[in-house]
Amino acid sequence: MEPITLVIILVCIIIGGMLGSLGVHLLPVGGAPAAMATATGIATGCVMLMTGSAVTGLFTASTVATFWESNPSVVLVSLSGGVGAMLMMGFTMLIANLIYIFGAGVVPVSGRAAVDPITKESQTEYKTPRTDGHGVPNVCFYSGMIGGLAGGFGGALIYVILMSGEYAGFSIETAVIVALGIFIANAILAAYNIGGTIEGFHDPKFKERIVTGLTCAFVVSLMCGILVLIAIETGTLGAGGVL
Amino acid sequence: MPVISLFAWMLVIVFLAFIACMFEDLESDTGSQSNPNSQVQLAPEMGYIHRYYNKAISGEGLSYALACTIAGTIALLLLLKFEPVYGPKAAILAIPVGAAVGSISHMIRASVCYPGREAAHKRFEQPIYLDVFYGHLVPIATHNFIAVICITGIAYIQSHLTVLSGVSGTSNPFPLPLLCLIWGITVGAIGSSTGDIHYGTEREFQDRPFGEGRRVIYHGQICRYGDCGIRTSKDVVAFCAKYGGPATGLTFGLIVLFENWRTVIGMMLGGLTGAAWNPGIAAGCGIGLGIAVAIVLIVLNTWLVRWARKKYGPFVGE
Repeated sequence: MEPITLVIILVCIIIGGMLGSLGVHLLPVGGAPAAMATATGIATGCVMLMTGSAVTGLFTASTVATFWESNPSVVLVSLSGGVGAMLMMGFTMLIANLIYIFGAGVVPVSGRAAVDPITKESQTEYKTPRTDGHGVPNVCFYSGMIGGLAGGFGGALIYVILMSGEYAGFSIETAVIVALGIFIANAILAAYNIGGTIEGFHDPKFKERIVTGLTCAFVVSLMCGILVLIAIETGTLGAGGVL
Repeated sequence: MPVISLFAWMLVIVFLAFIACMFEDLESDTGSQSNPNSQVQLAPEMGYIHRYYNKAISGEGLSYALACTIAGTIALLLLLKFEPVYGPKAAILAIPVGAAVGSISHMIRASVCYPGREAAHKRFEQPIYLDVFYGHLVPIATHNFIAVICITGIAYIQSHLTVLSGVSGTSNPFPLPLLCLIWGITVGAIGSSTGDIHYGTEREFQDRPFGEGRRVIYHGQICRYGDCGIRTSKDVVAFCAKYGGPATGLTFGLIVLFENWRTVIGMMLGGLTGAAWNPGIAAGCGIGLGIAVAIVLIVLNTWLVRWARKKYGPFVGE
């Protein structure tokens, strides 16, 4: 295979992995405390949520990739995946808010910001004392949508670069498993980096830890990318390989 | 006509998605899985001896991905065996048998969780109630079966859509077990993100004031009494089936609806795989429609939060 093609594959895997990590950092994740309305965000873990949204995007991306007989458009397929993940996040956060508001009677409020940086709505007086906020306030919703878009775009980018005949030329099944593997590795690293809950781009934790998170994502994606290149060059996973 | 058939199958998928995610959430309430189970786990340490079922196989996404993938794999094996002989009718046997194997494997995992977790609570004098143990296994398996059979059905329809709808090029390229894995992860992630709130915030702390976040000092002090007698996890299901479960089903149903809808509309605008087929226009229209739906969601959430702030007002109380 041409060296320039190998470099493009490696760069796309690194970009995809780093976007996945960025997406996880942007999601408003409250973990277990959010299920009791003790913390702001969505009531599940970073990895679970990001993987759930990314695979939803991946499903749409895979359908869109079949629009082309061969060599699908990388940008359009990746964007389809990104928008799919963004919609998954949007619906999940909206219905979560419906349950917070009508099921538990709490107002969505940020625990880390006194004033919503986007809508300028005050937060502190709506917060229950001795909690870290509750629900998905507007700024977290916007952050989650951007996070879903970034993560879904990254996952679909790795998938399409691996399955396209113009690039790696893996079988569809192998491409999706490898893409998921690289994506989940990055998501787990990001979850460790966050270490608990995060509200999104306005959270002080985001500024503190994003550089470390992206550096780790770069390193792990580079290592995964090198493994993929070895697989391509040795024909282990590509066309004619064992899978 | 084929386009109508395509939309009809899309709506069948959406209906199955609604049922699947609703039962996924109710199953997680039956066995007390995922995030709110942290309170059931903590309760004996706080002196709150309870009769809740204590099951946390793993995160809901992973446990459902496993159950659905097992179901999909068994279904695919049966389809490979019987489809050449009986044609599409083989699915009538393959999907329920696959789902049954998936749900039995899930029940087995659930059955080892309860004695193991409660045995670890012996030092806090939490007994292992055998009636709680036996009484919850069948509801866990049946709720799980409904969710898994719907997911396997969705995966079957999506991987055989060209044959079923008569429109070429509409089948998803992923094999059936992989689609089961994808939707299993998604259904678990959604059930964990949305439905758990109704169980964790409201039902577990029903003796606390309505309308406030559950303070850290309340943690572990779960509500142990039902409308009549002592509460078990089966009483939780009846409560959450009135709001949390259907809302969770709605989430997954809407996601599947709009994901498929924007793709199908994009395909129609791109020429629907005919002579004038333009894949770039089809993909671009799908993306544009998705962004439009996302903007509507942002507007809806902004309005909802503003409405709640105005209606409920600032926090009053201590």
